[in-house]
Amino acid sequence: MTAQAALLPLAVVFPVIGAVAAPLLARVSRRLPVYAAIVALVASAVVLLTLARQVFSGRLLSHFMGNWTPVRNHALGIAFVADPFGMVFALVSVFIGALLLVYTLSELGGLGARELGGYAALFQLLLAALIGVALTGDLFNLFVWFEVAALSSYGLTGFFLERPIALEASFKLLVLTTIAGFSIFIATGLLYAQHGALNFGELHAALGGRLRTADVVALGLLIAGYATKAGLVPFHGWLADAHTAAPGPVSALFSGLMVNLGIVAIARLTLQVYGPSTSPILGVLMVVGLVSAVLGAVLALAQDDLKRLLAYDTVSQMGALVVGLATGSGAGVAGAAYHLLNHALFKSLLFLCAGAIVHRTGVNLLSEMGRLAKHMPGVAAAFVVGAVSIAGLPPLNGYVSLSLIHQGLAETHQTVPYVVLVVAQLITVAALAKAGWLAFVRRRPDDYKWRARLRPGMAAGLTGLGVCCVAFGALPRLVLDRVIGPAAGALLDAGAYSRAALGQAARSTSPHIPFTYFAGTEIAATGLSILLGGLLVTGYLRSREPLPVRLLRSAHNGSVNDYAAYAVAGTVLVVTLLALA
Amino acid sequence: MIVANYLTAAAVFCAGLYTVLTRRNLIKIVMGLSLMEAATYLLMVSLAYRADSTAPVLLNPPRGQSPQQLAEGNVADPVLQNFCLTAIVIGVAVTAVFLSVVVRIAQHYRTLDADQVRELRG
Repeated sequence: MTAQAALLPLAVVFPVIGAVAAPLLARVSRRLPVYAAIVALVASAVVLLTLARQVFSGRLLSHFMGNWTPVRNHALGIAFVADPFGMVFALVSVFIGALLLVYTLSELGGLGARELGGYAALFQLLLAALIGVALTGDLFNLFVWFEVAALSSYGLTGFFLERPIALEASFKLLVLTTIAGFSIFIATGLLYAQHGALNFGELHAALGGRLRTADVVALGLLIAGYATKAGLVPFHGWLADAHTAAPGPVSALFSGLMVNLGIVAIARLTLQVYGPSTSPILGVLMVVGLVSAVLGAVLALAQDDLKRLLAYDTVSQMGALVVGLATGSGAGVAGAAYHLLNHALFKSLLFLCAGAIVHRTGVNLLSEMGRLAKHMPGVAAAFVVGAVSIAGLPPLNGYVSLSLIHQGLAETHQTVPYVVLVVAQLITVAALAKAGWLAFVRRRPDDYKWRARLRPGMAAGLTGLGVCCVAFGALPRLVLDRVIGPAAGALLDAGAYSRAALGQAARSTSPHIPFTYFAGTEIAATGLSILLGGLLVTGYLRSREPLPVRLLRSAHNGSVNDYAAYAVAGTVLVVTLLALA
Repeated sequence: MIVANYLTAAAVFCAGLYTVLTRRNLIKIVMGLSLMEAATYLLMVSLAYRADSTAPVLLNPPRGQSPQQLAEGNVADPVLQNFCLTAIVIGVAVTAVFLSVVVRIAQHYRTLDADQVRELRG
């Protein structure tokens, strides 16, 4: 443990201070809380960056709250551990969060003092929770950050109280997240009652060897709970609704960053605490991931609301990410970590585009849009960058991470998941092609009721994210060696993380991830998915809605009771599968 | 005796879950979730219990026992009780948000029926 590690809590403290101060600052000046929030996030970024160099070189840092360091490997203090994987997520959250705040100043800058104060407070609270999740090394602390994120997301979803759909979405989010909270809470209690430990390192040591039934049940409940936050099928009922109702930057925050909270928690628990994972755990994750990838893509294809389409695509991308984790191989896990970073970039970009379109024209539905490329060329260009990234075309970032996930599947000889993932990918291509075609290209009479113009802050947000999408796609070797390789190494090296969580000096190894940019199979898979996706979308737009899609859509009937039932059934299923396997 | 606690917790939890899954009244859904929450508290406190133990307060131990003896293990587990306290605080906040959302829904839609409040679907 170094003295510098004592800085770790500051990364969370700055946004929390900002959140508390925001409503007060709003009394001084209307926009001050948002400026203060940007300053707080920059301060937090500086703290993280001073530690990042050490962390990415493989050295894991840990700090115990109140300096309650472990005695004879029993930890009482709450541990904050900086490992490369958590660091990637924390840095992504801070940077994209700050960019979204700049964007907010443009889109929502006209709001009143009370609204902006509340908005800045909730925004920073959510970001603090995300950084907390990335850094914490304690099971109960993880639950607390989960609840902090949940509380602020309720507020942000229902932020425009005068919009009825925002209230409806907020209620669904509340019910599903509360149920998820119970399952995490019970699981945490069960694990503590079994092993008398909450520290991840201590738990890892206690869980070594044979897992008992209670351990497995607890893991099932934890996966189900955090999967709700990650929006994986069948826990995803809240996700599309919350995104539809929220303003652009909030959707971007939810989809780009908040859903990743669940993924980070699942990755930590399955790979680092319960790991090195055995096949039943990874098998269950694989099934959940594949189902999410396919169903999310199909639902996205069927949507008419642009933001709902993007939201369901998030379900699909989270599924692909979990598949990467579930391979358990170096390339697959690196692909998942890379995809986490990429998804945060391109999905935020796309949601900001959607927000800009709604802001400028007041139109939500794709069927009412058209020819926007002529009127908003900048937004169109940004949308194309985001869509092509998701579609996985070579110079952009989605291609690299998806190739790595595919490579992981190929290494572990899992042909069926490989094929299913490519199918999900081609449906995703079709969904985005549909959105791009209907919104930007299709002919339509020029009778938009133009509203507010786009401002420099919005352009800054779109450009920043777009440039990152290109950069992370064009320089994969650099990113892999410096950032993602160490992250994957830390995830797969459960022993090193566990030693760090107990305050011992630990170094995680950084595996060399072989990656050839233009591998034959990858080019073939990409080309195939683009081609078939194009055919699918032309067919889909001409024909009536096919039966499976109609059935799937009728299952999403908007009833909060049904969504809760799906989530509970999913929880029972995950726990049973894990217990039986 | 402690088994009775577990059974009660399970029964209350299931009653709450049944309410959430079957009732369409928004207030009843919130009540169901509160029941589930209460059940988890009972479960935690019961998990913390050890046979013949006292409260985990080491000042002024009961007659004939030293703080040392108490610390050696004849007390209920304070950590799980702390879980409960934390969860109660969170629960209060969540219930407050819940009810304020329900009030606003009632104002906008003039109904508390969850089936009438589903514009977002598909």
